[in-house]
Amino acid sequence: MKRVIPVLVLSVAGLIPVWRYEPSIGTTTSTTTEAVSTPTPTPTATSSSSSSASPSESAAASSKKVVQGTAINTSKGTVQVQVTFEGDKISAVSMLQQPNHPQTTAAVPVLIEETLKAQSSKIDTVSGATITSDAYVQSLQAAIDAKGA
Amino acid sequence: MGFPVSLRVDDEGIGEGTADALFAWLREVDARFSPFRPDSEVCRYDRGELQLRDLSADLTEVLDLCEQYRIATGGAFDVRLPGRPLDPCAVVKGWSVQRAAELLTAAGARRFILNAGGDVVVAGGPWRVGVRHPEHADQLCTVLELTDGAVATSARYERGDHIVDGRTGRPATGLLSLSVVAASLTEADATATAAFAMGPEGVDWAATRPGCEVFAVDAERRVRRTPGFPVVTVAA
Repeated sequence: MKRVIPVLVLSVAGLIPVWRYEPSIGTTTSTTTEAVSTPTPTPTATSSSSSSASPSESAAASSKKVVQGTAINTSKGTVQVQVTFEGDKISAVSMLQQPNHPQTTAAVPVLIEETLKAQSSKIDTVSGATITSDAYVQSLQAAIDAKGA
Repeated sequence: MGFPVSLRVDDEGIGEGTADALFAWLREVDARFSPFRPDSEVCRYDRGELQLRDLSADLTEVLDLCEQYRIATGGAFDVRLPGRPLDPCAVVKGWSVQRAAELLTAAGARRFILNAGGDVVVAGGPWRVGVRHPEHADQLCTVLELTDGAVATSARYERGDHIVDGRTGRPATGLLSLSVVAASLTEADATATAAFAMGPEGVDWAATRPGCEVFAVDAERRVRRTPGFPVVTVAA
């Protein structure tokens, strides 16, 4: 009988990977696991997730209401959003399911880093935080306008 | 919302009347949406004299835009800061100047530059737009080329720490200057202000916004820009 126990332990250990295995037709990650396992029926049975987030359902103006959008299957995985309404205003939007796919997870483009340079050049106009007229007078745009006049 | 406005129109047959209509629209916007005029629609709404359903379609559109950017920035961009009056200026400016540019287009203008307080809409370029150096008012930190589109810059150098991170209630100080190029000034200006409020992480956030190109100078004077920012290489 002493040998049985290690064998059982091994079988359990062998079962865990099987348990954790999910068919990989578009793997999804979830921030709220509960919501993934028990998707609540959406208020409007349409195919679009945005229409199910319509505030027309909320009757009480000031109450908080959480609405889950339809889970949408895309070629990159499943997308499902949850919208929190306070009255008829959206106060929060969260992703219940989003594709674990490079195009979603690495959407930030690689930024180019440079050193700050000061330069002058032939230009047509200047972008800058020029609000007050005092600063405008000494700004480049003033010079451009004076030249054009 | 006082800011200097420069207009250059290169088309024949665009008369003074068009420019007059443009400036009249901007004055009208100031009267209706200024948080500094007690009789403006914004102030009356803020005091509770107007309800949401009483608001003009224009103000409803502006407040909807404000809400979209508040959600998109996790609350860093917020026009309703505690203890302060409702101040949608950051969206009103870009939105109203974009509308002004559309007045020009509707009047037949095809080649113009409209510069409102450093926020720029151009058409019929190529035009060369300099971005003011954050530390030297008479120098540029980059030059970009734009044919049709908009560029907006948020910075601390002139009005000081006037952009507040709504998440902390404290002034945003992580960046010296951030410029956004987009198809419309509505998008460029709001994205630039919202990203500036977020600080250094706002550079990455703005870079992910569809159709936006970003050029930012952080507090350590490092430049970070998107590969698509239309920089012109100039001989020094």
